[in-house]
Amino acid sequence: MIAAKNTSYLARVKPGWKFGTLLVLSIGLYLISSWQVLLPLFILSAILLLSARVDLKQLRMPLFSLAMILGIVFILLALQTDWANAVVSVLRLLTMCLMAYAVSLTTSFDAMLELFQQVASPLRFLGANPAQIALGLSMTIRFIPELKKVYLEVREAQHARGLGNNPLAVSVPLVIRSLKIADETAEALDARGYDSAPYRR
Amino acid sequence: MPTRTDSTSQTRNTVYVAVFAAMIAAMGLLPPITLGIIPVPITLQTLGVMLAGALLGPWRGSLASLVVVVLSLAGLPLLAGGRGGLGVLFGPTGGYLIGWIFGSLVIGALFKYWVLRYENKVARFMSGLASALLGGIVVIYLFGVPWTAAVTGLALGTSLLGSLGFLPGDVLKAVVATLVALTVHRSYRGLMK
Repeated sequence: MIAAKNTSYLARVKPGWKFGTLLVLSIGLYLISSWQVLLPLFILSAILLLSARVDLKQLRMPLFSLAMILGIVFILLALQTDWANAVVSVLRLLTMCLMAYAVSLTTSFDAMLELFQQVASPLRFLGANPAQIALGLSMTIRFIPELKKVYLEVREAQHARGLGNNPLAVSVPLVIRSLKIADETAEALDARGYDSAPYRR
Repeated sequence: MPTRTDSTSQTRNTVYVAVFAAMIAAMGLLPPITLGIIPVPITLQTLGVMLAGALLGPWRGSLASLVVVVLSLAGLPLLAGGRGGLGVLFGPTGGYLIGWIFGSLVIGALFKYWVLRYENKVARFMSGLASALLGGIVVIYLFGVPWTAAVTGLALGTSLLGSLGFLPGDVLKAVVATLVALTVHRSYRGLMK
């Protein structure tokens, strides 16, 4: 769910404002318990999402799984309490999630990470090191396709031995090879003099 | 030269966290394995969460889970089924995601200070399994179940009952995680020093 090329008015709002508003509105939604109020709010959130010209294809999978969960919740709530209660609960959740999607899909990944870093910046006084965090996050993204490749290789090799569905035979080599990759990368970083110590003691 | 070793081990720790975070993420991208015994396909992501704790210890393990949570909330589609974004946090299953961080923390602490102290194989396995069950299931459900109940307004009991459907798969993952972690610890000593 990345705001690839969103240029709507929502994309120009500062991420901090969007995130803060989302938080406040989500808490506010819990104070409302009548569907007469929630239904217009739900329609508003849908309009908000559509007016932001988001790529609806990106929303298909998340909305599908959300709808499945909410369907179950709706039936259970209706059986346990009453219909009105179930409608209120499902409407509230849908409104909240649509607003959250609107924020996510109009904020670039970089801007979102930057916001998180700002929120977490007080941690610096507890010994967290921003350079180290940035290195960790970017390395994670870089390692994902590599580890996926390793996993598929290991699985194929074990399939050839008739062990493709044996979770142990796949996981152990995967973990060992991941640790090897980690060791090699750490050595390479050290060999190139990468120094992320916050300050010299 | 204390400064030199400090920075070396810090870099190594960061790389370990990144690799395990990537492993958790990669496990969510893959088609799930279907096991013969259980008809439901299980995704391996919580296996990665358990392994991060059991192999890296409490701090690096929970950091690996935290990195996945942060990256997916920031918008990367890393969670099973290609989900990601803030909607996950505000949705009914957000608690499980937060629970991952504390799940790896608990498993890591138990492995470091309890499981790996045993020399006996059986004692190691039993204590390891107990840790994986406690951290990987009890702790994660402890966050997930009340979260679902609070967000949806369902009764706590119903929410718990709903999560029991995932219990067989999660128990199996705990068994696998324990066996894998103990095997790897045997050949890769000193991971948790």
